[in-house]
Amino acid sequence: MQVIIFSWEYPPRIIGQLANYVEQLAVQLLKSNEKTWVVTYHDFLTGEYEGTEGVKTVRVTNPVRTHIGVLTWVLTLNQEVERVAANIYYTAGKQIDLIDVHEWHFIPAAVTLKKALDIPYVYSVESLEEHRSHGANSPFNMSIESIERLGTYEAGKVLTKSEWMRDEIIRSHKVPEDRIRVVSPTSASWLKEILETYKNVAEGRAQK
Amino acid sequence: MSRDLSVMMLTWEFPPRIIGGISPHVYNLSKSLARNGVKVYVVTCDFPGAPQHETIEGVEVYRVDSYKNPAPDFATWVYLMNVNMQKEAAALARSLGGKIDIFHAHDWLVATAGIGLKHVFREPFLATMHSTEIGRRNGIHFDYERMIHETEAWLTYEAWKVICCSDYMVSHVRWAFGLPPDKLIMISNGVNAEAFAKYENEDLSQFRSKFALPEEKIVLFVGRLVYEKGVHVFVNAAPKVLEKENAKFIIVGNGYMKDQLSSVVKALGLAHKVLFTGFVDDETLRKLQKCADVSVVPSLFEPFGIVALEAMAAKSPVVVSDAGGLPEIVDHDVDGVRTYAGNPESLAWGITRVLADDAYANRLRQNALKKIREKYNWNQIAQQTKSIYEAVLNDYSKSFWAQKGQESPAEKATDKSA
Repeated sequence: MQVIIFSWEYPPRIIGQLANYVEQLAVQLLKSNEKTWVVTYHDFLTGEYEGTEGVKTVRVTNPVRTHIGVLTWVLTLNQEVERVAANIYYTAGKQIDLIDVHEWHFIPAAVTLKKALDIPYVYSVESLEEHRSHGANSPFNMSIESIERLGTYEAGKVLTKSEWMRDEIIRSHKVPEDRIRVVSPTSASWLKEILETYKNVAEGRAQK
Repeated sequence: MSRDLSVMMLTWEFPPRIIGGISPHVYNLSKSLARNGVKVYVVTCDFPGAPQHETIEGVEVYRVDSYKNPAPDFATWVYLMNVNMQKEAAALARSLGGKIDIFHAHDWLVATAGIGLKHVFREPFLATMHSTEIGRRNGIHFDYERMIHETEAWLTYEAWKVICCSDYMVSHVRWAFGLPPDKLIMISNGVNAEAFAKYENEDLSQFRSKFALPEEKIVLFVGRLVYEKGVHVFVNAAPKVLEKENAKFIIVGNGYMKDQLSSVVKALGLAHKVLFTGFVDDETLRKLQKCADVSVVPSLFEPFGIVALEAMAAKSPVVVSDAGGLPEIVDHDVDGVRTYAGNPESLAWGITRVLADDAYANRLRQNALKKIREKYNWNQIAQQTKSIYEAVLNDYSKSFWAQKGQESPAEKATDKSA
């Protein structure tokens, strides 16, 4: 398989626990001989790299330097994520099987790539805006929730790390239960289950 | 080319959604391009009562969900709206099976959607800059403005060519974003003179009486009630004109200055002489322009000034300021009157000059009509635009993007080293 992972944090840029998790995922995918790219953000370590473990990363920065908030920053940054993902697609002989999008940040890019180039995506949910904002519903929070909802709506599959999160997504975003799969990072068959999900989503596209 | 050239236009406004000058521009340009054998797909924001898809004189119009959820501010709404627009435009372009040859974006309001579509489909991308943030705000003062300015800079960077509607805008955009001169192209804006023809033989006195007394001459302002349009200069010129002429000042449009302006009018004791109509429909607007004894464009910043052209097409004499693109449209004393921008005395002088001398006013009308028929017709503008599309496609055909599935030399090198 040829997989692109989108994550707004990736070593050396570590914000929370997601960076190390995504790195582990990319390394394990490579070890299973799945060709993997990571598209992520860094403000100055931009461009294409091949790390010690052989993971190819492409880091983008935001061409718009001044922002009034996280949302405008994320939404403009998406175009650069989309641009490099399209470059990977064309360079890889248009053979990208799917994109794994971690968190809401780069959902807009994944949705356009799906509509334009028929690349399906998996939406890996780490947390929800509703929990992060403790139920606040200012226009800012609602905008982020609307991006999450778009993410669940267009996703080939939504991946969560716990059954609790699965239930929360069903409650909060009205996602049909069969579109969500719970894969615990601590499970012995973690990678096998993720690969299985990837294959199902990639094949789902072919059947359409 | 064996088949028709196809272009996808991105615009945040298209009739019946009319906010400013972009809407009529894209409407007339698209229709005229269609008449010149270009297949045009317009992707725009939705509007209550307007269909999601319709064909207007050969132009395919698609209206997409323009993001109804609350957004924290206007700019964030714009970027969120671009997510929806880009998603729908991508699905449409895909469903057409690679038929779109060019993506053409109008202003920063659709910048991110246009930039995204360019890269996912690897097709040439053009931008028309109708205005700039630095011009609208007379400088960049806040982060909000800087963000929009930088988005505009990015849009012009990503565009293959940047089209501007006046020589003034070409030099302004070149200065604002540091663009190379050969990236900029001037294609004039146009006006649809035929739109006024049907009122030619109609008796408008009944209509006129709803706005002004028979003995009052009509002095008309049409535009958004915002600082850059100089509507406050217009209001301040009114008492000076009224010293010499009996006139009704009609202000068409809405904007944040409305309340402030009407309190100024009340303080001047001119509430019976200045009428705020708010936003009016197309027919009312055209009839008002036909009835106007003088049409005034007092802008402090004006990228082009299409409202001056409309007045000229309506055979209403025009008095303009000397800001932005307006001096390119109006030759002083030949087809209109030019006054100093931001100067109510100068503006009042110009208005009075036209109102006081019917022979002079008639000469201006005739010269103006001749000029707009010769210089500002949409058919000619569409032909110029089409030839730019063809030139860009010719350049593009030599690029590695045109060889679909091929890699750039740089991409090849990276791949081998891996």
